[in-house]
Amino acid sequence: MKLKVVIGLAFFLFSISSALSADGEYAVAKIKPGLLPDAHVVKRMAETRYEVISFSKTRLYNKYAITIMNENGDRFARMYEFYDGLRSVKSIEGKLYDANGKMIKALKSKDIEDRSNVSEISLMEDSRIKTHNFYYKVYPYTVEYETVVEFNNTYMFYPWLPQPEENYAVEKSSMTVSCPSWFTFQYKMFNYNGAPIETEVKGEKKYTWQVSDMPSITKEFANPDWQFLTTCVYFKPDKFEIGGYKGSMSSWNELGLFQLQLNKGRDKLPDAVKQQVHHLTDGVSDAKEKIRVLYEYLQKNTRYISIQLGIGGYQPFDAAYVAKNAYGDCKALSNYMYALLKEANINSCYVEIKAGDGEQFFMPDFSTDQFNHIILCVPLATDSIWLECTSQTLPAGYLAGFTSNRYALLVNETGGNLVRTPKYGVKENTQIRNIKAILDKEGTMQITASTTFSGLQQDDYHSLINNLSKDKVKESLQEQFDFQTYDILQFDYREVKSTLPVIRERLEISVSNYATITGKRLFITPNIMTRANQKIAIEKERKYDIVLGLEYADTDSIEIELPGGYAPEAIPQDMTISSKFGSYRSSVKLLGNKLLCYRHYEQYSGRFPARDYAELAKFYETIYNADRSRVVLVKSETTPK
Amino acid sequence: MKCKLFFFVIIQLFFVAARAQEKVNTKFGDVNEKSFATKIYSIDSSANAVVITDFGSTKIEGNSKGWFSLIFKHYKRVHILNKNGYDAANVSIPLYVSGLDEVKLSNLKAVTYNLENGKVVETKLDQKLNVFKEQIDKNWAIVKFTFPNVKEGAIVEFEYTTISDFINHVEPWEFQGDYPVLWSEYNFSLPDFLGYVFFTQGYKKYHIKDRKTKTESFRLINSNGTSASDFLSFSVGVADNRWVIKDIPVLKEENFITTLNNHTNKLEFQLSELRDPLTPRVFMASWPKAVEDLMNAEFFGQQLTKDNGWLKEVLNPLLKSETNKLERLKKIYAFVRDNFTCVSHSGIYLNQSIKNVLKTKKGTVSEINLLLCAMLRYEEFQADPVLLSTRSHGVAYADYPIMSKYNYVIVKTTIDGTSYFLDATEPRLGFGYLPLRCYNGHARAINASADSMELESKMINEQKFTSLFVINDNKGSIGGRMQQTPGYYASLDLRNRIKENGVEKLQKDIQKAFGSAVVISNFIIDSLDNYESKLGITYDFDFPPNSEDIIYLNPMFGEGYRDNPFKSAQRLNPVEMPYAFDEVISVQIEVPQGYEVDELPQSLVVKLNEEGDGVFEYRISQSGTNISFRSRIKISHTFFLPEEYDMLREFFGHVVKKQSEHIVFKKKK
Repeated sequence: MKLKVVIGLAFFLFSISSALSADGEYAVAKIKPGLLPDAHVVKRMAETRYEVISFSKTRLYNKYAITIMNENGDRFARMYEFYDGLRSVKSIEGKLYDANGKMIKALKSKDIEDRSNVSEISLMEDSRIKTHNFYYKVYPYTVEYETVVEFNNTYMFYPWLPQPEENYAVEKSSMTVSCPSWFTFQYKMFNYNGAPIETEVKGEKKYTWQVSDMPSITKEFANPDWQFLTTCVYFKPDKFEIGGYKGSMSSWNELGLFQLQLNKGRDKLPDAVKQQVHHLTDGVSDAKEKIRVLYEYLQKNTRYISIQLGIGGYQPFDAAYVAKNAYGDCKALSNYMYALLKEANINSCYVEIKAGDGEQFFMPDFSTDQFNHIILCVPLATDSIWLECTSQTLPAGYLAGFTSNRYALLVNETGGNLVRTPKYGVKENTQIRNIKAILDKEGTMQITASTTFSGLQQDDYHSLINNLSKDKVKESLQEQFDFQTYDILQFDYREVKSTLPVIRERLEISVSNYATITGKRLFITPNIMTRANQKIAIEKERKYDIVLGLEYADTDSIEIELPGGYAPEAIPQDMTISSKFGSYRSSVKLLGNKLLCYRHYEQYSGRFPARDYAELAKFYETIYNADRSRVVLVKSETTPK
Repeated sequence: MKCKLFFFVIIQLFFVAARAQEKVNTKFGDVNEKSFATKIYSIDSSANAVVITDFGSTKIEGNSKGWFSLIFKHYKRVHILNKNGYDAANVSIPLYVSGLDEVKLSNLKAVTYNLENGKVVETKLDQKLNVFKEQIDKNWAIVKFTFPNVKEGAIVEFEYTTISDFINHVEPWEFQGDYPVLWSEYNFSLPDFLGYVFFTQGYKKYHIKDRKTKTESFRLINSNGTSASDFLSFSVGVADNRWVIKDIPVLKEENFITTLNNHTNKLEFQLSELRDPLTPRVFMASWPKAVEDLMNAEFFGQQLTKDNGWLKEVLNPLLKSETNKLERLKKIYAFVRDNFTCVSHSGIYLNQSIKNVLKTKKGTVSEINLLLCAMLRYEEFQADPVLLSTRSHGVAYADYPIMSKYNYVIVKTTIDGTSYFLDATEPRLGFGYLPLRCYNGHARAINASADSMELESKMINEQKFTSLFVINDNKGSIGGRMQQTPGYYASLDLRNRIKENGVEKLQKDIQKAFGSAVVISNFIIDSLDNYESKLGITYDFDFPPNSEDIIYLNPMFGEGYRDNPFKSAQRLNPVEMPYAFDEVISVQIEVPQGYEVDELPQSLVVKLNEEGDGVFEYRISQSGTNISFRSRIKISHTFFLPEEYDMLREFFGHVVKKQSEHIVFKKKK
């Protein structure tokens, strides 16, 4: 009897496992239901291994399988590997599976596309891409790829980011670093519980991180950087080699020393340029004035051309090259400016920075190359002058939204030093507007608007007037305003270049039907030109902190002369809001036939808890509505003579 | 309105201009102080750079492969006036590669001239260090360089030669570009044994158009051959054709243009025949001949005439027991649409067999639609491929079968006397619909009769209907129901967006537009998966109670135009709209309880012009406590001349104005 039971059980077990084996390991049925909500793709497995062979040879092995749940996940089905002078693709294998996990097809090497990957901003790069796609469309399906990339350096040590985007669930993923015992490195973990598993066998060390069952993430309005929402690990070698150079990432100082090494001896100017420097600056005593003169010389005599080949992605073309060709990229132009200043006995620092509008993720406590741009800083006794050397038009000492208010690595003779670039806040980023307008009986309004933009608020106007011809500026103005039908009659811009630049604008605009005039009423929105556009959806649940970046202030004073014979019916109430997100004040008054309107808005930056979301939504909506509120006037019963 | 512009004109070769003797200086390096004198050019006072001379010439020579090569010489001089013209110093020369054959570049010269202290200073391009070749993919490489030492006011000058063995591909010559051009000239020396057809496009007239004949000898060597007979030499007549345009302005980008490409001044060439002493052959005789060639081509028609018995493995399980013919047709269409990825929406020739398309699940537009066509024919439907040119590819010329003018293949099928156009490359596109890009004029069926057809944007009528009922609720406020049917293409757009972001996102956007105080409920989207139909969007809304003395209500409820779509005050090019449309909103409003109507907007009818190209109706009336409102904009034409622009702008001015008006309710006393 007993035996029979055991046999029966064994048979039962067998039948289960055979039922499962009919489905392959990537069968969609095997995905835990908890991972499916909102997931366009599910990473079934990923094993990444970074193997250090020597300081000038490492390999990155990557094997992963991704199930594409629907067509929104299609873009993740594409495999791509980049290569250039610093890395090469050693092998690529791929397989395609159907929903049951049955293999349909294997990649053939002739199907791998090999394309140039030169970015749009560059004249030339050695960057190329190998890419492949199965182009399958029966959902769900799974792609599995296995790639090996070899590096000829230990400088490029990619972070591990198992979950790269939203709507992306992860079943399991692991990262292993294996290296000889003489190789040491550091890591920084985000949202990782515990420590990596460490083993050492015969002089080879291994560190393994792993995650499993990560449900997909949905981004929210103004959420913190992605690294704070998911798990990731960043790495840095204590010592590294690249392109025949040796360096260390053990501190910001060390990283600075490495750059110093790359730049060494690249600041020699041709004699003719040296003479120019002396000719321009010898008679000038003020250091700031010297800097301005030389910066303008740079702007006049060079332009931005990007060429990135091998180590040239990190090492500037030398000063003589720039002098001869009159062009260079951010590295070459900054290095050239450094040389010009040096010739005038002014010491400056090459600055590594992560450029881009808005503040971005940065790890100040993890000294790695987190940068994508180079600027220059001239430390003076009282303050520092910052120079964006790729710009043909910016004033000396102003950084614009591209590089302001963030960490940067200052490289000086003794090494590197992490500093912050200037912040432009609510006092600097202003827009002050005065409008005088006359409305006629048909509802057509003649507007004269005088506006002063300052700080980051002038950045767009700076580009507009410096990069476009007058005709094009007019075309742009004719498209940009929120009026029904209008014509730009006159426009004029004056730019005041300084460390806090200012642009003054004067516009004359004729707007048809600005006011709606019906049988006896006149509807008019007194806030003519500065209306808040931000409105955010009401969310039931907010998960993450709210991060608000840009700070600015707008002030509008408006005077509208109305046609005679109207009396007020409805006038918006004065409004004052002050909150942690900003403040708002508006008032409308009718004095005789003149409508007087005042609006002041300030927006603050900061990080706010998720529970503040409803308040923020309300803040935006109230202002949105207030900015569009109307004055209604009715024709007086007795028309005054 | 009645006449359309014709952009293409076939050049008559016998024309000889009076100014034919006029020459332009193309001598390299002939730059002196005076060359810099002009600071502002009268052709365009706001130009950042001006092309002084752009000179190209093509001639044909015998080569060592026993055939002919095209020798193209290009010379260009540009005056860079300010920093914003620096891009004119960046040069790209695309070179075609096919297997072992590639277009070769030689004799590249490039020099920058600056005027420094009254003297001309030359800087030569360092060809070793600063000329780059970027291999884009297996068919294209680009040689790139930028001029050295470019300063404001610099003159840059380059010349080069390319040698190409692809005589069936002569690069077009564009007279017009990113900067104004003072003198643009193209020469084509054409031996009598080759025939090319020339196409010219653009509004600017030729300054010189000239043709001279001479005799020249040609030598062909076949270096692969072993016998002496692989050497051929003969003399024939050669025609030197010359075209010059002077003072060509920059083309202006404007809204509502099908493609700017249709308006550029340019010359294009198509090899039409080989003549004696070569073995005579006609490439471009007539449409019937071209279509016949295409039907017999291995990379096109042969795919359809083969047995294709392998299709049954897919079609049998797909169609199973379905007996209704139309349903079978629809199933095949949906199968191809839903299971294949289109990797390129341009190109008419196949790069792979349709059997391979079935295997790899991907293909270009022609590959996928020919597979569809083959499947339909296999199931004995009448189906033919149809060639067309998409809107961004430009106008195709109906009279001549120039294949390079076509870039798209669709399928026309006829069942029980009804014809359908099919394109299986667009996800969620309904059976019998074509993407908007296909409506671009001439199209040609690849069948025995080479049927010609017109697919015009005005054939599409985007009809949008919105209906609202607004009544008093029992909580002292008003609420109602919104029902909307967007046009078909707007529905397609919404389907795609819903697919990407979900229905919730759409609902949230609507809530956002109404504001948080309004309650939106019973949100329903109808026909989401019924791709042949328009969507239906329905929801209830409820406004918060109102205690104001006066209520101002815009009966458009956020629909309609807020801005004039024609913002620009002037217009250079014709206005080309993607479709005709008819938008109706119909609203029934119950006067809010405790209020009475103080003022209603006035009704209005505006016609676009006497011929009835468009009409705007705004009708509102009150009967008891009920207000009926209806607004309609109907535009039945899609092409307007620049002269009609003001009228169009004014018409929409009326629309925007009227649609911003309010109904005024006053509290009863």
